[in-house]
Amino acid sequence: MASGICVYAETCNGKLDPVVAELITAAKLIKKETKETISAIVADNDCQNIINELSGLGAEKIYAVNTGRDMLLQDESAAYVIAEMLKKIEPSSVLVPATPNGRSIFSRVAMKLNCGMTADCTELLVGKREDGSCFIKQNKPSFGENVFVTIVTADNVYPQMMTIRPGVYQMAEKTTESAEVVYFDDIKAPESKVRVLESIPSEAETDSILSADILVVGGRGALEDGNFELLKKFADKIGAAIGGTRPMVDSGLIPFDHQIGQTGFTVRPKIAVSLGVSGAIQHTEGIKDTKLYIAINSDENAAIFNVADYGAAANMCDILSEYLLL
Amino acid sequence: MNIAVLIKQVPVSNDVSVDPVTHALVRESSEAMINPADLNAIESALLLKEQTGGKVAVFTMGPPDAERSLRDALALGCDEGCLITDRAFAAGDTLATARVIAAAVKKYGAFDLIVCGAMSSDGATGQVGAMVAECMDIPHVSEIQSVSLSSNNDSCVEIIKKVHEDKLRALVELPAAVSVNFGCNEPRLATLRSKREAKNKPLITYTNSELMLDPMMTGIKGSPTKVIDSFEPERSKTASMIKGSAKEIALQLKDLIEAEKGKI
Amino acid sequence: MKKKIGIIGGGISGTALGYHLSLYDDAEVVIFEKATIGGASTAKSAGTVCLFDDSLKNRYWDVRLYGFESYLKMEAEEKGSAGFDKTGTLVVATNEEVERTIKTGIALAKAAGYTGEYITDKDRIKDILPDISTDNILGAGYTADDGYFDGTMISNTYAKKFQKNGGTIKTGVKVTEILKENNKVTGLVTSEGEKYEFDTVVDCTGPWSKFTGEMVGLNVPIWHTKAEAFFLCPPGKKLSYTFPVLKYPEFYALRAGDNIFICKSHLSMDLSNPMHAGQWDPDKLPMTGGTDDYFIDFLLDQLDAKVPGIVDSGLVSSWLSYRAEPVDFWPILGETPVEGYLLSTGFGGNGVIEAPAATRDLAKFIMIGESTPLLENWAFKRLLNK
Repeated sequence: MASGICVYAETCNGKLDPVVAELITAAKLIKKETKETISAIVADNDCQNIINELSGLGAEKIYAVNTGRDMLLQDESAAYVIAEMLKKIEPSSVLVPATPNGRSIFSRVAMKLNCGMTADCTELLVGKREDGSCFIKQNKPSFGENVFVTIVTADNVYPQMMTIRPGVYQMAEKTTESAEVVYFDDIKAPESKVRVLESIPSEAETDSILSADILVVGGRGALEDGNFELLKKFADKIGAAIGGTRPMVDSGLIPFDHQIGQTGFTVRPKIAVSLGVSGAIQHTEGIKDTKLYIAINSDENAAIFNVADYGAAANMCDILSEYLLL
Repeated sequence: MNIAVLIKQVPVSNDVSVDPVTHALVRESSEAMINPADLNAIESALLLKEQTGGKVAVFTMGPPDAERSLRDALALGCDEGCLITDRAFAAGDTLATARVIAAAVKKYGAFDLIVCGAMSSDGATGQVGAMVAECMDIPHVSEIQSVSLSSNNDSCVEIIKKVHEDKLRALVELPAAVSVNFGCNEPRLATLRSKREAKNKPLITYTNSELMLDPMMTGIKGSPTKVIDSFEPERSKTASMIKGSAKEIALQLKDLIEAEKGKI
Repeated sequence: MKKKIGIIGGGISGTALGYHLSLYDDAEVVIFEKATIGGASTAKSAGTVCLFDDSLKNRYWDVRLYGFESYLKMEAEEKGSAGFDKTGTLVVATNEEVERTIKTGIALAKAAGYTGEYITDKDRIKDILPDISTDNILGAGYTADDGYFDGTMISNTYAKKFQKNGGTIKTGVKVTEILKENNKVTGLVTSEGEKYEFDTVVDCTGPWSKFTGEMVGLNVPIWHTKAEAFFLCPPGKKLSYTFPVLKYPEFYALRAGDNIFICKSHLSMDLSNPMHAGQWDPDKLPMTGGTDDYFIDFLLDQLDAKVPGIVDSGLVSSWLSYRAEPVDFWPILGETPVEGYLLSTGFGGNGVIEAPAATRDLAKFIMIGESTPLLENWAFKRLLNK
């Protein structure tokens, strides 16, 4: 009988990813209802450091496999190791960070175990079946956060596997309690067909609005005296690329390939801060799928406030000047 | 090099609401398009083909109407299309979907590389590519920036992937699968002429008569995970207004930006 | 006592009417817009308020000139407020009838103090538009003094002026019921459940007018023709010259940043072809996409023959818009059989050109009761006689 809440202890360069402490909080909330044991799984070149970091966070058991090599990008091998571990552990649920690494490895694990996986959960709730057994209601956003859906794993399928969005749960506090550590020495990491050749330090992409995660968008209000200089400094400070609406392009401050909207380009940044953008539909159609959209416009009735998540009806010059001092 | 590109037809608009009674999703518009990141996948495949020759076949699973997206992909320069459509495949989760796609790609022929977009704009799970790779028992690297020929090894491709602050350059043995990030390259555009030419490119349809999968392993029946409810998030149509002095607004702005940056 | 007027629709027609009404001291006006100002059909307008072309016959030259000069003044008051891009206009004559229309247009433009010339020297035409084919054309009319405007910007500017003059705008508010007593309009009810009393209600809902009219039991005789448009990215991504507003009887084009906007013209619509004309629900129109496949063949053939230099442009995006057209293609302006229910709709593809003059006259009629030749020509009753 499958039992236990198992957290994947994701690592990066031999260190525990901080999101794991958040997942342990999620596991503790589930445990309140289900009374199950919380465990963590580690598969790394040398697990000892990770185990040290993990202990005291709240996992009662830590399962570990020393892989004997750095498995960076070797997701097919990592998936094999983890699937073998889970076959032995037989947990009822597996909580995975919704990170590139987590979803890449566990997509394969989910296929190996035929259990499926719910992506990017923002809330986990415990439900009870008629026979008294528990299941996890996995709530996740869909259609660019416009709706949320509740997903459950079928009654007879275990483990219930899900990735959880970083930043949703608080990090678990470290205590002095220790965890039982179990090494699966018989699980060996198979050869991988992926080999990392080198690591090149990279800088934030700010020269293309298409690939930028963070965008500062200037509108007509940004054309006023000195505002564009402030806007540029602000963009530098937050590591953003600069896009704009037609007036910015017409004025020659930014090139056409930085124009957002129907005439120009459609962008999908994670964060956008618009400054002096009125919110004409030709523009907003090009940027509406942004995760966090903050608009500053001196006109409190500006249509942009119907599009943005957060707004400030204020003079952009004042706000930016203050921001640059922070 | 023979390349398979996997694309998804997605709604143009994510404006969906939930029927308060039935909890069914109500789409504001039925207009559909190729998932944006899949255009980057197509571009990656076409760039590779231009270097090596071979062909690019584009696959999509969806309703019969998804043929439009395949035609669009053919207009961009893909050589052949394959529409995977059957009621038995409908409403599947990522696992059930990946099984079908993998079966279709296998049946279609031998490919050196499978390319897909890292995430769809609607479901955004980012799982199907890796699951297809697992089904086909080939390696994969997901969410990469670029894929190119390896200069000294014919049986490999070289990929670049961003991991935290670094860019990793790695060698992947073929056959393999990769998923590429949205915005990692500049997708070419179709022209009026290429649109017209696309009408005559080969496009075949696979239903379960061709794939002969166990219906208990596909579609809603073959899905271990199920949507049991949907609801709208509690938030207003308009922005929450930040008030206060310029300094207070700046501070709140910083908190919001820093918090969201932490999730990237 | 102030005259209470409700305007349904915040596009170019509704905002221009609101502005013109707000110039009278005793008008109390509310505009109801269910989405955003200038965000639907108006946003899809090409805004080619040119001095002369082949779409609005020279019969209504004054209407055209009034529109053009209103927007020029708007732009001069605040740069960008009318979205003016002064690219000049090239109108190509492919037959003698078009040639005559162009020549008359040039004469009228000159009479108003603008420049304009009819060019038959094909090298000079190619200087203006290097990508054009001069085969099979008679000549082209050209002026450097005009260009295109931005309907959304103009609507928002009118809206701002209207509010400054004391007008009220309700956006995101749909009119769900129009109240009537003894065949006279008394007010309306909104989606927010609020009730308003009005002496006059004006329908400025363009392609929605059919549905709006149903609320007072009025059959507004308009149907839709399709305006199908593409944004093209020219080969090489950037043209080395200023692409003028380009007009052919079959299509028109203009620059949009470094891209080119191209749209099937009003005149090439075949009203007996269900692909071109019908009655549809504008609420179902997507903001982008929706064009028909035949449009690709149509444009490919047109560009191949007429502007071969841009035929291999990339297709950036497309859209479909519905033009609201009465049977004779002229707008419907003024009174209807329902007392107090007025129309300012059916502008077809010419709303941005015609709205300033049409709503100026309509505002005068509402406030003073005085009619004008334009109101006579575009009256609802002309359609009843047919």
